[in-house]
Amino acid sequence: MAAAPRDRRRRGRTPGAASAAAAEDDGEEHHLNPFLSDEAPSSSRIQFRNVASRARWVEDAGEAEVLDSKGKLWLTTGVTRGGKLYYNVEEIGFLAERGALVLLDDEDETIGLEKIYKKIAGGNYGCSWDAFQAYKHLKVLGYIVGRYGVPWTVKHSGTCEVTDSPKSMADTERCSDRANGACNDITKFLKQMHIDGIYPSFEVHLPNSKFKKSCPGVPIFLLCLLRDKPPSRDELETVENKFEGIPLKFCQVDNGRISFLSFDNVTLPSLP
Amino acid sequence: MSGPRWKKAKDGKDFSALAAASPMSSIVAELQSSLKRSRPVATISSHGEDAILGVSPHQAILLNQAAFGRFVENAGGEKQWFQLGAEEVFYLCHALKCVVVELESGKQMSEGELWDHLCSASESFPEMYKAYSHLRSKNWVVRSGLQYGTDFIAYRHHPALVHSEFAVVVVPEGAELGGRCGRLKVWSDLLCALRASGSVAKTLLVLTISSSICELGSPDCLEQLFVHERTITRWIAQQCREQRCEPCRVEPSKEEEGHTRETVVLNYWGVILGFTVLSTLLVYKLRF
Repeated sequence: MAAAPRDRRRRGRTPGAASAAAAEDDGEEHHLNPFLSDEAPSSSRIQFRNVASRARWVEDAGEAEVLDSKGKLWLTTGVTRGGKLYYNVEEIGFLAERGALVLLDDEDETIGLEKIYKKIAGGNYGCSWDAFQAYKHLKVLGYIVGRYGVPWTVKHSGTCEVTDSPKSMADTERCSDRANGACNDITKFLKQMHIDGIYPSFEVHLPNSKFKKSCPGVPIFLLCLLRDKPPSRDELETVENKFEGIPLKFCQVDNGRISFLSFDNVTLPSLP
Repeated sequence: MSGPRWKKAKDGKDFSALAAASPMSSIVAELQSSLKRSRPVATISSHGEDAILGVSPHQAILLNQAAFGRFVENAGGEKQWFQLGAEEVFYLCHALKCVVVELESGKQMSEGELWDHLCSASESFPEMYKAYSHLRSKNWVVRSGLQYGTDFIAYRHHPALVHSEFAVVVVPEGAELGGRCGRLKVWSDLLCALRASGSVAKTLLVLTISSSICELGSPDCLEQLFVHERTITRWIAQQCREQRCEPCRVEPSKEEEGHTRETVVLNYWGVILGFTVLSTLLVYKLRF
């Protein structure tokens, strides 16, 4: 949109530009005037892919098995199990919106965006609508986002085996920790539903052209979705105690607008 | 936490050295001993929280330097007049024990009576005062934050020397305090507080005051109140990313192309450079 770059330049001239920009980032929405033309809103911001990959929806697993994968998106999206690539429901939604994926059913009929949205909105496949908004927001900016607790890659096929000890992941312990996570996404999600309090939904890595699923490294933060009320001190302390080490960020989704927040435990110094 | 932003003097140097030479603890200590010697009396308004205090010119300088109260302009006379807020007057009276407070009738108040008076003027006085004294006891300068939509603003030293670092919101919790209409219980309130603090370049500091006791009838309850410090900051996904690499939206084909092109170009020059180095070395070796 033409409005956005101009605003960025204007902001740059004012003092305290960085903080002003931070404050204004979610500031006045730039409205395209819908009364000026008879045309429907167009998706001018999204770059659509010319060639789409194909994946088949597997109802039992709640995910799609990728049949042919075009381009390099698969390097940072989806889970590799026994040599096959699987996309979960938020990944399918994100890719399908961009025309990068065609989802097929058992009879090779295309599952359209409406049905994909329904799967997400239903919340039965491990990702809520709000979580999908947060996922998209980060993916569009290039971040590498995976479901928390789900290994990026599993050597053996089948959903209930654990990877063998990672000789190839010579690097660090953390690689084996990731790979030894529980295998069944949906079971995990259902378990989480019964966990009281706040729990991470995603792990987030910085954009990285050298990202490897076999050794993803430590995420820059874990993202927890917050619900209808701000978290209490108890809730924050509980989740912090569970996940010492990796920074936690929290997000609040309001009709597609995402606020990413940190609630840091601090101790103000005593001054001289 | 980001560090202090010191203001600059006319010669361009910042005031950090001046602040270091005059630590707040010594200013407050000097103020305290000077006031104790003269035993000034502050008059508190009958139904309100504000108090007026008359002091000597030297004490006025110290009150100003320690950032207590607001100087009241007037025509002159021996005394200089300062208007003190509820937390300030109680701090001088109870924590520093250097000021006595009386009603306009002339009746002097004990600390307990002053506590009752201030609590009846404002239901949230206990937690507000606990937060205020918590920060002051760490030698932070604490001023009202009402104009910014927060409870307090905290400075590392005098506001003339340094920009404020924290916009403080006080949140009561626990048996006695939790029933109050506390702050930050809904998203609109939290995001509003965050936005208000952000627009003046301060970090939002939330002081949660929890109490394990059930009665707040005397200042002794202060020892049973605990202060938990937490900052709330907003993370801008775009800005974080822009610090690391070229800002660009996910446009898969362009991104891949760009990377491939970049890699190819680097490899090309790498080869040229390598070749040049190797051939130079070879020639060198052959000659000698």
